[in-house]
Amino acid sequence: MLMRAAPVLLVSVIAFAAIEGAVFHTEVYPWILNPDASTGYVETILRMEHERPKAGPQVLGIGDSRMLLLPRLSNEHTAETRYTFGTIATAGASPRSWYYLLRDADPTARLYRAIVIAVESYDDAERWNDENDNNEDLSYLIDRLRLSDWWEFSRSYHDPDRQWKAARGILLKGLVYKRDFQDLLLHPVSRARYAKLNRRDAFSWNYGYNGPPDTLTDFHVDWQARTLTAPPNADPGLVHNLKFRLLDALPTETGNESRYLKYWLGKIYEHYRGSPTRLIFLRLPRGGFVRPDQPRYNPHSSVRDLAMEPNVTLIDEHFFDSLEKPEFFRDEMHLNGPGMVPFSLMITQEVSRILGPPR
Amino acid sequence: MLFNTPQFFLFLLVTIGLFYVSPKGLRKWILLIASYFFYMSWNWRFAPLLLSLTVIDYVAAIWMERVESPSRRKLFLVASLAANLGFLGFFKYYNFLAGMLAEALRKDPHAFALSIVLPLGISFHTFQSISYVVDVYRGEQKAIRNPIDYALFIAFFPQLVAGPIVRAREFFADYYQWAPPISEEKLRGVLWILLGLVKKMALADQFAQIADSYFQNLAAHPGAPAAWSGVVAFAMQIFFDFSGYTDMAIGMALLLGFHFPTNFRRPYLAFSITDFWHRWHISLSRWLRDYLYIPLGGNRHGSLMTYRNLMLTMLLGGLWHGASWNFVIWGGYHGALLGLERVLGRKHFQEPPNWLVYPFRAVITFLLVCIGWVFFRAATLHDSVYVIQQMFTWHGKAGLIPVWLTCMLAASLAIALLEEKTEWIERLAHGPAWAYVAAVVTLLFTVELIGVTEKAVPFVYFQF
Repeated sequence: MLMRAAPVLLVSVIAFAAIEGAVFHTEVYPWILNPDASTGYVETILRMEHERPKAGPQVLGIGDSRMLLLPRLSNEHTAETRYTFGTIATAGASPRSWYYLLRDADPTARLYRAIVIAVESYDDAERWNDENDNNEDLSYLIDRLRLSDWWEFSRSYHDPDRQWKAARGILLKGLVYKRDFQDLLLHPVSRARYAKLNRRDAFSWNYGYNGPPDTLTDFHVDWQARTLTAPPNADPGLVHNLKFRLLDALPTETGNESRYLKYWLGKIYEHYRGSPTRLIFLRLPRGGFVRPDQPRYNPHSSVRDLAMEPNVTLIDEHFFDSLEKPEFFRDEMHLNGPGMVPFSLMITQEVSRILGPPR
Repeated sequence: MLFNTPQFFLFLLVTIGLFYVSPKGLRKWILLIASYFFYMSWNWRFAPLLLSLTVIDYVAAIWMERVESPSRRKLFLVASLAANLGFLGFFKYYNFLAGMLAEALRKDPHAFALSIVLPLGISFHTFQSISYVVDVYRGEQKAIRNPIDYALFIAFFPQLVAGPIVRAREFFADYYQWAPPISEEKLRGVLWILLGLVKKMALADQFAQIADSYFQNLAAHPGAPAAWSGVVAFAMQIFFDFSGYTDMAIGMALLLGFHFPTNFRRPYLAFSITDFWHRWHISLSRWLRDYLYIPLGGNRHGSLMTYRNLMLTMLLGGLWHGASWNFVIWGGYHGALLGLERVLGRKHFQEPPNWLVYPFRAVITFLLVCIGWVFFRAATLHDSVYVIQQMFTWHGKAGLIPVWLTCMLAASLAIALLEEKTEWIERLAHGPAWAYVAAVVTLLFTVELIGVTEKAVPFVYFQF
């Protein structure tokens, strides 16, 4: 008997959409993600935060790889501060990602007494790259993006190709999971084992992290001559990055970064508007060497404007200046192990001071 | 507008939609406008060229039919052929010939070169036009009176840029007795389009990455394993790329109520080179046979002339692919192998051997075809010789094809073997609905999870 084309094709499309949805739009596929790949890494961080016991008032840190808050150290002082600290800071995460991560970690906006947001600058300093077109965000967030995010998230890219990639990726998440899926096909057993191991031990791996001991003490910068002197055995990649960050001209100010930050930090504020959660911004220590030509003071930067709103606080911009020494940094922007200790303790004390004793 | 892009699928949906909602009289206009829109989306400057050739051949065919005198008929044929081959020769072979002339005169190789952009699909629509005027000249085809009908035959978008090369009598048989496709044809059409997409995006584009990495940096991959895997990767790329395109063209045509001839019939299962050419780019082989080999005399004037005709046909077939000595050598290589098979006994290479011998013969044929592909893919003759040397240099480390792609290849081979025996893909549209749905869902997931979707990779044959 001849089949009718339209119903059969319709059923085919529905069947595909149903299976795609069941596998990739639920927790089925994320369960087996490679924990070392972008999405798996973010999922691990969020899962740890969801599963972390939350007795007593909570404080959550967020930022990129430079937000090196060690909750283990902060929580050694819980008896004194009465706050328990956690972090969902993620290497490479942008303010756009922070919004979606916070929305997932704290859907009711009432789970935490404070969210500590680590930013690079209080002046919305321009960046070399356009953060709107950060390719990683889609990979980081794909499991957390909903169909209702389709328009806003994909339109938030400036590059039409990336807008299209995001738009189709949110609808057909398998397109974004493709590389991970191909890797799973190659090594299904070892992947399953590693994913299981990660589910069991990720918390101790992450919260037990101490940071490397490397320092920049053997490096010297001559600001007059605009030269960097490196030890003979220095990693060429590190030397290149230090020169780029310290000696290259600052990017031209276009206001692009400011618009970006105002939008996404504004979205975070909107999420918490009217909730008891305080948003606390801190400016990250700038590095082991601080270039003399800092970005221009911006009185109407994203964070300064937000600070006018209730329940938003900026930690003193120069609060971490004492850490801006070569002995506390392992590379051009990341604190080392010895630097992470005072950084974490300073955050703990200052946030506890700002919040006051919990009611 | 590549077939493997969302823009093209939007274009296809709009075209099919407009085609079916329009009154019958408007439908040919819809297809013609869509076809020219498709062509102009690549480069609008070549539309007048396509139109000019269409007008020349349309008029020549009508005049050929009108005049009584054989010499005048021949004159119109020659004029039409001169126009077609003149355009083709200028755009495709001018720089090749100019380079040879410069070399002969010991001048700079680019001394007489012009900056020429090859019009898309010129090799295909020229051959289609030639077949039409020759058929009219021979009295095998009536001249088409309606210029719109003829223009659509030449410009019909599913086969405009890379075939299959459709005969006028095949096209107009569907066109003049057009009937809407029945459900089974619609289902087959969709299946062919999806199958073509999978071949292109999940197989050809994956193999292309390996072939490109090998052929673009030969020095980095010494030894036989790398050479064979690079060449096999290209063999797979070109097959899945071209047959994927053809499958999509056939599928689109079916959805519009047209039936294109088969262009590929599992060529890598061929048991001889003769058999290979009955399975590979069938519409071109058929064209070369009917409009070149047979007019040259075919096998009617003794063995020596047969070999000459065979070799000439294959050399010109090679040259048709591109203006380079590598393509000529590729054609000559196949001509020589076909000649050799004739010498060894034609029947032996035309009829399939028993099932015990078949696999060995198929493997040997595939390896011989792969050696030919080296000339097709390598940038220069020097590179081709180097690769062939490497293929028979027994050293080197592992091959370049990853395990998962080898598994995909094994799955494709199993599907091809099953298809060879049962033609089950063709039958899916007649079978139970659940089987069809399962096949479509599988194909969609293959495109989604295996296909190269980051960028649309152009089809290999678009450059010809």
